[in-house]
Formats: sequence, C-alpha cells, structure tokens
Amino acid sequence: MDKDFAARRRRDLIIAAVLAAIAALTPLFVKDVVVQNILILTLMYAGLSQSWNILSGYCGQISLGHALYFGLGAYTTELLFTKFGVLPWFGMLAGGVVSALIAMGLGYPFFRLRGHYFVIATIVIAEIGLLLFHNWEWAGAAMGITIPIRGDSWLKFQFLRTKLPYFYFALVLCCLAWFVTWWLEDSKWGFWWRAVKDNPEAAESLGVVVFNSKMGAAAVSAFLVAVGGSFYAQFVSYIDPESVMGFQFSLLMALPAVLGGIGTLWGPVLGAAILIPLTELTRFKFGGSGRGVDLIVYGTLIVLISLALPRGLLSLFSRPKKTGAAR
Amino acid sequence: MTITRRDVLLGATATAALVPLAARAQTSEVVIGVIYPFSGGSAQQGVDAQKAYETALEVINKDTDFDLPLGKGEGLPGLGGAKIRLVFADHQADPQKGRAEAERLITQEKVCAIIGTYQSAVAVTVSQICERYQVPFVSADNSSPSLHRRGLKYYFRAAPHDEMYSGAMFDFFDAMKKKGTKIETLSLFHEDTIFGTDSGNAQAKIAGERGYKIVTDIKYRANSPSLSAEVQQLKSANADVLMPSSYTTDGILLVKTMAELGYKPNAIVAQDAGFSEKALYDAVGDKLEGVISRGTFSLDLAQKRPMVGKINDMFKTRSGKDFNDLTSRQFMGLIILADAISRAKSTDGEKIRDALAATDLPGEQTIMPWKRVKFDEMGQNNDADPVLLQYVGGRFVTIFPPQAAIAEAIWPMK
Amino acid sequence: MGLLYGLIAVGLALIFGLMDVTNFAHGEFLMIAMYLSFFLFAFFAIDPLLSAPLVAAALFVFGAVIYLLIVRFAMRAKANAGMVQIFTTFGLAIVMRGLAQFFFTPDYRSIPQSWLGGKTISIAGIFLPEPQLVGALVSMAAFAGLYLFIHRTDFGRAIEATREDPGAVALVGIDKNRVFAFGWGLGAALVGLAGAIMASFFYIYPDVGASFALIAYVTVALGGFGSVFGAFAGGIVVGLVEATTALVLPPSLKSVGIYAVYLLVVFIRPRGLFGSI
Repeated sequence: MDKDFAARRRRDLIIAAVLAAIAALTPLFVKDVVVQNILILTLMYAGLSQSWNILSGYCGQISLGHALYFGLGAYTTELLFTKFGVLPWFGMLAGGVVSALIAMGLGYPFFRLRGHYFVIATIVIAEIGLLLFHNWEWAGAAMGITIPIRGDSWLKFQFLRTKLPYFYFALVLCCLAWFVTWWLEDSKWGFWWRAVKDNPEAAESLGVVVFNSKMGAAAVSAFLVAVGGSFYAQFVSYIDPESVMGFQFSLLMALPAVLGGIGTLWGPVLGAAILIPLTELTRFKFGGSGRGVDLIVYGTLIVLISLALPRGLLSLFSRPKKTGAAR
Repeated sequence: MTITRRDVLLGATATAALVPLAARAQTSEVVIGVIYPFSGGSAQQGVDAQKAYETALEVINKDTDFDLPLGKGEGLPGLGGAKIRLVFADHQADPQKGRAEAERLITQEKVCAIIGTYQSAVAVTVSQICERYQVPFVSADNSSPSLHRRGLKYYFRAAPHDEMYSGAMFDFFDAMKKKGTKIETLSLFHEDTIFGTDSGNAQAKIAGERGYKIVTDIKYRANSPSLSAEVQQLKSANADVLMPSSYTTDGILLVKTMAELGYKPNAIVAQDAGFSEKALYDAVGDKLEGVISRGTFSLDLAQKRPMVGKINDMFKTRSGKDFNDLTSRQFMGLIILADAISRAKSTDGEKIRDALAATDLPGEQTIMPWKRVKFDEMGQNNDADPVLLQYVGGRFVTIFPPQAAIAEAIWPMK
Repeated sequence: MGLLYGLIAVGLALIFGLMDVTNFAHGEFLMIAMYLSFFLFAFFAIDPLLSAPLVAAALFVFGAVIYLLIVRFAMRAKANAGMVQIFTTFGLAIVMRGLAQFFFTPDYRSIPQSWLGGKTISIAGIFLPEPQLVGALVSMAAFAGLYLFIHRTDFGRAIEATREDPGAVALVGIDKNRVFAFGWGLGAALVGLAGAIMASFFYIYPDVGASFALIAYVTVALGGFGSVFGAFAGGIVVGLVEATTALVLPPSLKSVGIYAVYLLVVFIRPRGLFGSI
C-alpha cells in the first residue's frame, strides 16, 4: 500500500509536469485571443478550485464563502496600487497574507460549527464582506476601482497588447496550487485530514493537532485564492464589489472541484477544463437570444453530472482504488 | 460559435492586421456588436434594447422616409448601400464577461463598432477593450459621468449623464421657487450600485451649491426584500421633495411600501431608470399620479415632429411598449453610429472614430428633444438637454425646460 | 416582515431542517409560486388570496415531482452526499430561472390591484400594511399546523424517523420515498402559500427568488435545524434585527445585522436557537 502510494505520487508528478509543459506550449499554436481568454479563465478557475479543494475537499470543511478571499486579494492589491503606488506584485503577497490571517481568525470560531451551520456561516461572512466593500467610500464603494493603464509593463503586471503574460501567470498559479495539494497529500496535515474524514469522532479526541491542521488548510487555501483574486483584478483591470466578491464566485470556485471530483488531486483541473469552456461557449452560442437558453443548458448539465457521477468526472477514469483522500 | 483558426496576430500587429482585413471585407455588410445583459436580473432591459436596435436597423436598412440620418433609402449610402448586421452578446452584468464578449465580437465577428451596455460597470471594461483595438464604442444608455472622463479616444456618448440630469432637476426647482413654490428640503433615496451612487453624489453636490437642505440621504441595497425601514425614515423626515434613484424592481417596492406606510410626499422627482419603465406604471401607476421623472425622451415630441410617433409605432409593434428613456437612447445611438460609418465610407475603426468626432447633427434630425449632437473632446455630447416629465392621467407630459414644455407642472402632486 | 420571512422559511425548515436535505432552489420555488399566482390573476382574475390554496396545491405536486425525479437520486449518492445535494439543487435553480425567462420573458410583473395590496390598517398611528398582516396570520397558522403535524401525527413522526434512520424505518414498512415525497410536497406547498401572499405586494421576475433565499437559509439555521418552532422564532428575530439595524447603520447595510446575529448565535449555540441536529 505504501509503495503503491509512493508510486502513484511519482506518477502524478510526472503527468503534471507533462501537462504543464504542453500547456506552456499552447500559445505557440493558439493565436486567437478569444480562445486564449478561455484558456486563461480555465487555468485560473482550475487554480482557484484546487485551492478551495484543500480546505473543502481534503479537509472536509465545505466553504461557500471563498469569494471573500478572492475579493480581499483583488482589493488589497488595487487599493495599495492606486492609493499608495505599491506595485501589484507586493500587493498580491499582501492580499494573500491578509486573507490567510483573516481565514485563521475566522477559523477559530467557525471550525466549531458542523454541517449546514458551517456552510451558511461561510456564505454569510462573504456577504458581510461584500456589503462592507459596497459601502466603503474610500475603497470606491459601488463605483469600484479602475486600474489606470499606462502601457505594458512587467513591473506593474499590466499588458494591453498581449495576453501571454496573463496566460503564464495563470498557468503558474494553477501549477502552484496543484503542487501544494500534491505536497500536502503526503504531509502530516494530509494524514490528519484523512483521519478526520474517515472517523470524525476518533479524530475529535486528537483535538488540538487536528484543529491546527484545519487552520493551516484554511490559511493556505485563502492565500492562494487571494493571489488568484489579485491576478483577476489585474487581468480585468476594473473591479467592483459585485464582480469580485459576489456569491457566484464562491460557487464557481467549488463547481470545478465538485464536478471533477471533490477531495481529489486531479478533480479541480479536470472539472475546470470541461466546465469553463462549456460556460463560455454556451454563452457565445445562446447568450444573445435573451431567452435564458444558456442558463437552461448550463443548469441541466450541472444537475446531470452531479447526479450521475457523485464522485465527479474523475471516477470515470480511475479504477476503483483508494486514491488519496477520495475514499 | 466556430472558432476560426485564422491567424490574427497578437498585440500591436493584431490591430494593424485588422485594418487590411476589415478594409478587404465585403462592404455589402457592416457588422456592429451589441452588448447587453440578456440573462439575470436586468435581462428585461437587454431584451427591450434588442427591440430598439432592431427598430433602428429597420430604419437604416429598409427604404423608409424619415428626416433622420440614413432615414431615407436602403443601407449606408457612403458604402454603396451596404446593410448593417447586428451581433448580440450577453454580458450578464459582469465586467469580466463584457470584456470577453467585446474581444470576441471584435476579433471573431469582425465588428467595426460596439454599442451598449446598460450597466455602467460593464461599460468601463468594454470601452477599455474597444480603446485597445481602436474600435469605437458608443455608450448608448450609460449615465455614469465618470465614464467619459477617462481620456478614452474611442468613447462616445450622445445622451446626457447624471450630472446633467441632476442639474436640470435643480434648474427646475430654482424656476419653481421663483414662482413662489416652497422647496427647501430634499430627501435623497438611492440604490447602492454605480448608478444610484453616482446619481446620489451628483444630487448632493448640486444641492449644496444651490442651497437646498438634504434632510435624509438614504442609500439602500438594490433588490432588497423589504424597504419598510427605509420608507419609515423618509416618512419621518418628510422633505418637500423626494428624489429616488431606483431601478424598476426597487421602484415598484418603494411605491407600494410608501402607500402601505401612508407616506405621501409633496413631490417626487425621480432619476429616471425604474421611473421610466412601463412595468413600474403597470404595477403602481395609480399611486404615482403627478410623479416627475427626468428623461431624454418624450412622446410629446410627436406633436411637433410627427416622425417620432411613427418610429414609436414601429417599436411598439415589435415590443408592445412605447419608447422610453432607455430604448429611445439606444435607437438614437445606433442611428448616430451608422451615420458616422456611412460618412467614414469605411469600416476602419479609426476612420469611424474621426467621423463620429466630426458629427454635427441638428436636434430636429433626431427623435430626442436635444439641441444637437456634437461630441466634445472627451466624447460627450453636451447639447443633449434633459427634460423633466410629469406623469398625468396615465401618460407623460413634458414640463421642463420651458422651450420643450407643453404643460405647467402640477405641484404638489396628488 | 419578520413573519413573512418566517413563512418563506417554514417550508424550507421542513425540507432543509427536518429531512436534512439542502435545497438551494428554494427561492425558485417561491418564484414559481408568485408567477402562478400572477397568471391566475391575469387570466382568470382570481385574487391572490383566493388562489393561494390552488397555488399551494400546485406547488405540492411540483415539490413531490421534483423530489421523485431529481432529489431522490441526489440523496442516494454514495459519496459526497452533501455536495451532490447542494449542486443538484443549485443546477435546478439555474434551470428554473432559465425556463422562467424562456416562457415568461424577463419582464417585471406585478399585480396592480388586489384585495390586500396597498391597504393599510392604522392603529394608534402605527401603520400595519394588510398584506403583511395577513402574511403574518397565515404564517402563524402554518407554523402551528406544521408543528402539530410533525409532533401529533404518525406521518410527521415518520418523516423525522426516516431522516434519523432510514434502514429501521424500512423494516417497519414505511416507504422512505413516499414519506419524503410527501414532505417535499408539503414544504413546497408552504412556499406556495408564501408566494401567493407575496405576489399581492411584491414584484415578480425570474430572479426574484434570489433576494429571499439567503435570508430564508439564515432564518432556518438561526432557529436551528430540526425545529419548526426554531424557524418561527428565527423569522421573528430576523425581522426585528433588520428593522433595528436600519436605524443604526445605513440602510444598505441592514442585512449585515442579520448576518452578524446569525454568526453570534451559532458561535454561542452551534446548533442554532432551538436546533436538535
């Protein structure tokens, strides 16, 4: 079993490296900006979903409030940039740290809650964040923040004429989130999380250790999502509370992991690779009709996939075996 | 959607490459992108806009006889009678999606201009993309004043923005005061998205400058399940004028809640939006006798300019509604844009931009009560005079400014 | 207003709380009920108050069918049952909104004249809008009825027993699906009542459910899952908190008060005010 586990981990790492290399080469073939845009979004959501998966999949603490961290990342970066001239790269780090600290602060009371109580608490806290930013004059309130564009610059991480830097950054983010997940799977934390999921009561007796590992999961997860948020802000170059902190982001982060396979290493990537292009294409095709057809198609697919494959699309590929935390 | 593998080169070369591509393109058809919310909470505005643009398309492409630019003959004379085709895209009120759709329309559908967007937040990102690809963006119905002040070269707005609207309201108050009406205190009531915030700020600013006292300034959450607490506050403040800036949903709820809580202000002077929507008057019109709303359009104009009535009928057969403040602006936006394309004799973005910048259209050749259409260096038309309309006996009559008015204001409202 | 939230929440309390099934399409059930009520008014001139039983009956069938067609399978999921329920019902919500937009168009509707709409009773200077008043009465009746139903009838006990131990219940010959289908129908019927009353004073459009859904979840959770009385109490607390917050904070922040109270309550009592699970 241990040997198998080690072998599987090596195999995963190799597959990941190959996929990343292939992804890195796609811009050579794909010149169409619209397709590039879809690729960037896909990578970004894969990364976000991967990060969400750490807390909600592996650790079993289902959060539907991650939009809070996404928005905090975006806002920290842009407030620092537009008000104090701090370069987005530092803002990105700052946003990550702020989010991680808040996640830990919230984790303290939140982890006492179970099931629906926890889920609703996460939704509610993100709504509070949204409302506060909506009313915070200094942060632009409803007007949002328009990022001043001064031409292409790596220093300011803004590019008008090409999408490639965004593409590579999204790729790095996605790989980073994947690698962190991969690494955590075999760590002490990963062990505690599996224990918690397998037998919550027994793990309860371990108390403090488990609690700390959950806090760790929350912090890592929030940090990565915040980095994603600040990337998104630079990419779109305009943010307002609704468009970076809305409830839909919490769902969009969870969906790829759920559809692909929650609590698995590959689920979020697979889910995002299918879901995001599908969302974009249904909108292109039916969105202009004004009759809600895109919603019907999209919703039906979600219902069908969640019903037919409760373990996610990944279960189509794997033989019945024990993979990581996905038991 | 078919993803063409056509090699559109990236970046700087992309724009350069687009020029010969567009120039080579068949001039028998000119493609314009239309970006609106077609799903979600404001889908109705998107669907109405679609009807307004199709009406404009009929005027341009078919052989009609109106004293509008392109109102006669078929297609665009400057391009050998080329027809216009519209491509509609859904931004779902999300700035990121608006951006992606604008980019798709420009690179894949090869549109030579874009018009939109209802929500101001989306106009921000769409206009940025247009600027980058050097494709003109006509902001048909966005009213946020911050939009044209960003120094964009390819941004154009023929209609007034919220400061102009609010200015007209206060001009009206000043005029009423001269006639001896008591107007001293105001209650502002605005929603918390860009539209409401901008409008509220503009009103507060002008009120300060002209010495009106704001007794309550309530910002509320858009699409709230209940407005009782808010209306309670309005009622206890009991200002001379209530000035709401609300979309349709909240407008309906506001009026119903006011009736329930027995609050009847002396006058309501509304910042358009919901208060120009048929849905609102269908729902609560009986409680709104005498409400005043700003606007840029009035069906009264049909008395002076018969074509307004005829075009309105064309729109009505499509949508079952009269033109309102939004749909009339959308109609006019496309006419102005198409006229510029015809004058540019080209589908090249820069040439259309120059033609738009050179637009000088007398007000008589529009369906609006405007003086004329002429853009300043920021792309704003400062001659688009807003009007104030009063809802009397189930229809709107123009009461201000005097040159456009056909009736005296009824004050206080019933 | 609080009692109206309560009325919307009580149906959810039954589905969400008593059967322990997440229903993210609750707001859309409400939307359907409001449309039904609107169309009955528009085509047959039946006042929403009269049509309320009809709407409730229709929603009962609808709820039961949804359960049998979709939710039943979501509950059967062997893995990640919680997530499967959340996302199945979430997908369902999107489909329902899309269908509503497709068939009803996104136009805003509302019932201009009804027996209740816009009428107010004034007692000693305090204005009591009739729709809210009737809503409150209906909601109290619904709560009382549901409370008795759960605690005094065999069927109510069957629902609770089925949630707790489906296996054992099957042994004594109760069909789980029948019990839950009935429960879903009942939950939907209660939302139907709420929708019919609300249609007389609220606007209607495909996304209308969204504004109420979150408040309803918070109300149920605040009161505590598994407790009908809790949902009732939750509704009252939410209504009071909303009104008070609007006096202290800018009204656009009034929901913050509700959310903060929820967090405060669950931090002190992790199972809500009266929750049992």
